[in-house]
Amino acid sequence: MGDAALLAAVAGGDRGALRSLYERHAPWLALRLARRCADPGLVEEIVQDTFVAVWKGAERYLGQGEVAAWIWGIGIRRLIDRLRRPPPALLRSEPVSVPAGAIEVSAEEQVMLGIEHGDLGSALNRLSPELRAVLQATALDGLTTKEAAKLLGIPQGTVKTRLMRARAELREALA
Amino acid sequence: MTVWHAAPTLLVDYARGEIDEARAHSVEAHLLACATCRATLAGGVDREQLKRIWAEIEEVVDAPRPGVVERSLLRLGVREHVARLLAATPSLRLSWFAAETIALGFAVLAANDAARGAHPDLGLLVFLVVAALLPVCGVAVAYGPGVDPTYEVGVASPMRMHRLLLIRAAAVLATSTLLAGGAALLLPQLDWGVAVWLLPSLSLVLASLALATVARPLVASGAVTFVWIAVAMTAAFHRDDRLILFRGAGQVAFVLVILVSALVLARRREVLDTGRSR
Repeated sequence: MGDAALLAAVAGGDRGALRSLYERHAPWLALRLARRCADPGLVEEIVQDTFVAVWKGAERYLGQGEVAAWIWGIGIRRLIDRLRRPPPALLRSEPVSVPAGAIEVSAEEQVMLGIEHGDLGSALNRLSPELRAVLQATALDGLTTKEAAKLLGIPQGTVKTRLMRARAELREALA
Repeated sequence: MTVWHAAPTLLVDYARGEIDEARAHSVEAHLLACATCRATLAGGVDREQLKRIWAEIEEVVDAPRPGVVERSLLRLGVREHVARLLAATPSLRLSWFAAETIALGFAVLAANDAARGAHPDLGLLVFLVVAALLPVCGVAVAYGPGVDPTYEVGVASPMRMHRLLLIRAAAVLATSTLLAGGAALLLPQLDWGVAVWLLPSLSLVLASLALATVARPLVASGAVTFVWIAVAMTAAFHRDDRLILFRGAGQVAFVLVILVSALVLARRREVLDTGRSR
């Protein structure tokens, strides 16, 4: 059964379908949230909140796009709502060698995925943690600059300037 | 559709957090679109934690959906726990409202019927007696062992019982008054008679609450009902004016009853908490 069909069943009040969705999506959601929030208790709460929101609002899924992306949208926004302070940076630098995925995604995600030759990967890793955090919040997590500002605990204007600088630095590194 | 899949070691590194940002971004972007890799990744996640979170989710999902009364109370801005306590009141159910409506309907019929007969006042008297009495009946079954399904829960709850009783009494009084007010519009004589039951009904409710500090709520309400009907019957045989009970001197008496009852209630409300009287 596909995710969209499960979600339709959840909208019809099917507890089993919610359980299946949870089995499929809670693990990666918990991991991904944990990379953005250092408090494991808060991560648990947000995963819980997210699936309760899925249960209550399953009919709000419009049937377009990945269900996983829809769930992530709920989760990351719950996280933003709960965060009072920016999460500690979980940033390390290692050499990169990742093949690219053949997924139809936005241009910026395409860039994220195009780490094939190591150029972009090392360029990304060379970015300062501040610039990378802004890039992650907007390009990868799909947040607006306003939401990213809340998540990172910095003014919205700073998000915009850092985003511009991150893009400029990447462009330079890849030129 | 995706043809590329993340290497299992990469997913393991990601799950452990031992991965650089660029590769983590790559994995995360891929995971949104790939069920296979999501399933692979799920193997590396703490099962205990997932079980714990699911238990919490089940608890929320299994919580009963609030009923019509509770939902409308919530929409009116009543706080959640108060709405739940009010919604559990036996005399704030649709069945109770239906019963009240039927009682008032008969009273209105009687008043309309009597208006055409030899004693037009008698019908109005019946209506007024009934309208004043309904809130007392409602309050009698609003709280207490045997009538309130949430009584045991309430005793164990941190809310003071007298507060619960007063909240419920106020709600019952308000709904009964609205119903009786609506019924009064159907009376044949639409003059002063429409509102004169207000003070009596408030005084009866307060008197029964005050009495409930020395007797069981049902006994207290029964006693008040008995006295009220006895007084009304006596008044009904008054030669000149059957409605004398509701005129000036009568209303002053009701105000006195209200004041005395409120005083007793204020001084002895703690008794309602401990339930010593029953």
